[in-house]
Amino acid sequence: MDAEKKAILLDPLFENNPIALQVLGICSALAVTNKMSTAFVMSLALIFVLVGSNVAVSAIRKLIPTNVRIIVQLSIIASLVIITDQFLKAFLYDISKQLSVFVGLIITNCIVMGRAEAYAMQNGPWLCALDGMGNALGYGLILMATSFFRELFGSGSLFGIHVMPAWYETNGLMVLAPSAFFLIGLFIWGIRTWKPEQVEEN
Amino acid sequence: MKLLRNMLDRVGDMCSEKGKFPWLYPLYEATDSFFYTSDSVTTTGPQARDALDLKRMMSVVVFALGPCILMAMYNSGYQANLAMSKEGAVVIETWRHAIVQALGLGFDPNNLLACLIHGALYFIPVLIVSYAVGGLWEVLFATVRKHEVNEGFFVTGMLFPLILPPTIPLWQVAIGISFGVVIGKEIFGGTGMNILNPALTARAFLFFAYPAEISGDLVWVAGGVDGLSGATMLSQAFVGGKAALLAGDYSWMQSFLGTIPGSMGETSALACLLGGVILLVTRVGSWRTMAGTVAGTIVLTLLLNSVADKVTNPMFEVPFWWHMTMGGWAFGLVFMTTDPVTAAFTNTGKYIYGFLIGALVILIRVVNPAFPEGMMLAILLMNVFAATIDHFVVQQNIKRRWARNAAA
Amino acid sequence: MRQHSVTYIIIFSAVVCIVCSLFVSGTAVGLRSRIAYNMLLDKQFSVLRAIGEEDVSEEAVDTLFGTKIIPQMIDIKTGDVVEADNPSAFDTKKAAKDPATSFEAPANEARVVRVADQAVVYQIMDEGGALDMVVLPIRGAGLWSTMYGFLAVDKDGETVRGITFYEHGETPGLGGEIDNPEWQAKWIGRKLYDTDGEVVLDVIKGAAGPADADPHRVDGLSGATLTGRGVANTLRFWFSADGFKPFLEKMAGN
Repeated sequence: MDAEKKAILLDPLFENNPIALQVLGICSALAVTNKMSTAFVMSLALIFVLVGSNVAVSAIRKLIPTNVRIIVQLSIIASLVIITDQFLKAFLYDISKQLSVFVGLIITNCIVMGRAEAYAMQNGPWLCALDGMGNALGYGLILMATSFFRELFGSGSLFGIHVMPAWYETNGLMVLAPSAFFLIGLFIWGIRTWKPEQVEEN
Repeated sequence: MKLLRNMLDRVGDMCSEKGKFPWLYPLYEATDSFFYTSDSVTTTGPQARDALDLKRMMSVVVFALGPCILMAMYNSGYQANLAMSKEGAVVIETWRHAIVQALGLGFDPNNLLACLIHGALYFIPVLIVSYAVGGLWEVLFATVRKHEVNEGFFVTGMLFPLILPPTIPLWQVAIGISFGVVIGKEIFGGTGMNILNPALTARAFLFFAYPAEISGDLVWVAGGVDGLSGATMLSQAFVGGKAALLAGDYSWMQSFLGTIPGSMGETSALACLLGGVILLVTRVGSWRTMAGTVAGTIVLTLLLNSVADKVTNPMFEVPFWWHMTMGGWAFGLVFMTTDPVTAAFTNTGKYIYGFLIGALVILIRVVNPAFPEGMMLAILLMNVFAATIDHFVVQQNIKRRWARNAAA
Repeated sequence: MRQHSVTYIIIFSAVVCIVCSLFVSGTAVGLRSRIAYNMLLDKQFSVLRAIGEEDVSEEAVDTLFGTKIIPQMIDIKTGDVVEADNPSAFDTKKAAKDPATSFEAPANEARVVRVADQAVVYQIMDEGGALDMVVLPIRGAGLWSTMYGFLAVDKDGETVRGITFYEHGETPGLGGEIDNPEWQAKWIGRKLYDTDGEVVLDVIKGAAGPADADPHRVDGLSGATLTGRGVANTLRFWFSADGFKPFLEKMAGN
């Protein structure tokens, strides 16, 4: 893989993270991160939808009439999301119940729409697949990191397996959605201390 | 004193930019200005626009906290001794009991000194942890950011123990104050830049993180092994209204004097009142904010009282003089709403800010079923809006002046 | 970018829509039976939790529901068992919304507005095939949300054998502790009714005594007085004469 393609895939992890730098997709990052298992499935769902929609939009990008492009993109994304939701309900019912509406809400996840409009409309399917994968991984990375701390400190477990010693008293704030705000804020602080060029000018 | 001065100067040289340990400068500076007046005094202070410097101001606040601190120690001990005397035989179980026993003071709730000492053994460890852990963060940030340690923390570290129950585990104190200092203050840039009151942020963190122990519908009496817990006056009122308060274990006078169980420094409205007088006389605390809060509480309570017979919620009928002595109202009014950094800055803004806090406390206490105590949440919420209030007041001023000049 | 004619746009949109809908409906049809099975299984697991059966494999659930656990449709008002083809498929939420299949509940503290005329109950048989207990669906207002759950009642019609909640939005750590198995275990053995047939089982503040000495009270949840009260209100409604009382009386009478 040449350097350019590598950059497309890996840049969204830290250099240009969709959550930490662009601050997109925050609502689901707050809602589904109190357990690692839900965050993990949500990340997988987003990888599927984002890669799928990027590739599909890219494949027909030259055929899409400009004035209806947003609707076309949305229909593709919505179809992928419904399919994902049905599959989760069929094969991972428990987790799908916990994710409740948030799988359906991937339709409104700004990352998916943003990549379709900003990248897939101009680039070939192969690059778009990499781009979709990269951005979804960037999203998943933050989700997994957030849920790691939330589940570890909030429930004393990881992926549902109890890991904290018996004397550990679980922290109730970590179970509530606002804790994800603090954690993501701290991640952004960390990333920007590491890469000061991400700090906005004011 | 001369010796101390010389020693500090020597250390100061070592910590200066040319010295061996330049990174230790903030620590040296903090020690130095703790003992002596600082060489450099803020001229255009971020907080107070008068001749007072930050340090003097904070010293006044700590002085004003005196009655509450004494009350915190006495009452924690009094409640503990009371609980022990009800349990009957005195059993020496904790290290606190052992110390009190060794001093030969006994556990008589009527013995002032015995109560004071026993209570101090609860209060002092919390205070030490609060200062040590919070101070550590303070020094760490000052060192990394290469600025001096601010006196602001002197007050925060004192306020925090006072709004905690005596039974609080010390590790929770440590986590709470860390969150308060780092998230409540340092991430915004340190003293003077914070949006939220750090002590209340710390308390709110514990409130949501360990709700079973500190949510405020049970109170904490440091007693025998487990400690006793019973319903607070606020949650009694929520269930039974005024009648429950009148029939309850504690009279209004007790609630005013503070000989009831509760968070250590908050129980006594009288002690808070004394502190309030000190703050007002020295003009460190804003009388506008306080007046606004009092007005807000009275107005909203009267309003709710007037419709009390039409609703089933018994809390509607609780009169304002009860609201003012219960929970953290008095303490919050005197020491939290007047925090110059997080309150509104304009004079008109202070009335509005205070009024909304006063009204919100009552709303949260009366209408919200989940949180029996509302002072903390009301103040934190208005902290967030303080800048907005100021913005509108300033805009209003600009508009008025425009109009005046246009007319001239 | 090239301009497209109106016809092109319409045809293009139509093609995209058709392709997308084919995919979506294909998936939906292909997975429908599996999803329905999952939902049924989920409900069955909740019923099992109410009677304290925690770790049951999927296959075991199937056998249990064929032999030991028998779903039955009942008429709430009379308490009679009603014939039904497939009681497990009965959608209580939907039936309670439709005025044709439900009635308006009298004013109650559990804030139940409408009650479906019919309800699905689960008879639990013992080893010998005789009735052991019955699992009844309950719902009512907690502090923040409506709590949905099951209560298992002994064949005597008044002793609680288990309680569980499968859907609620109470605060984690406080009201959310209604999911705590330790708390749920404290319900076992308590009695619903006093000697006058009034529902007196209550969630108190603090700790109650053991079930045989203190049969009408259950420990409160620390820091969640109002959720506890909501659970008590829920029981008070569902086991009153407007709820399952007629059914329980008939069951105990037989």
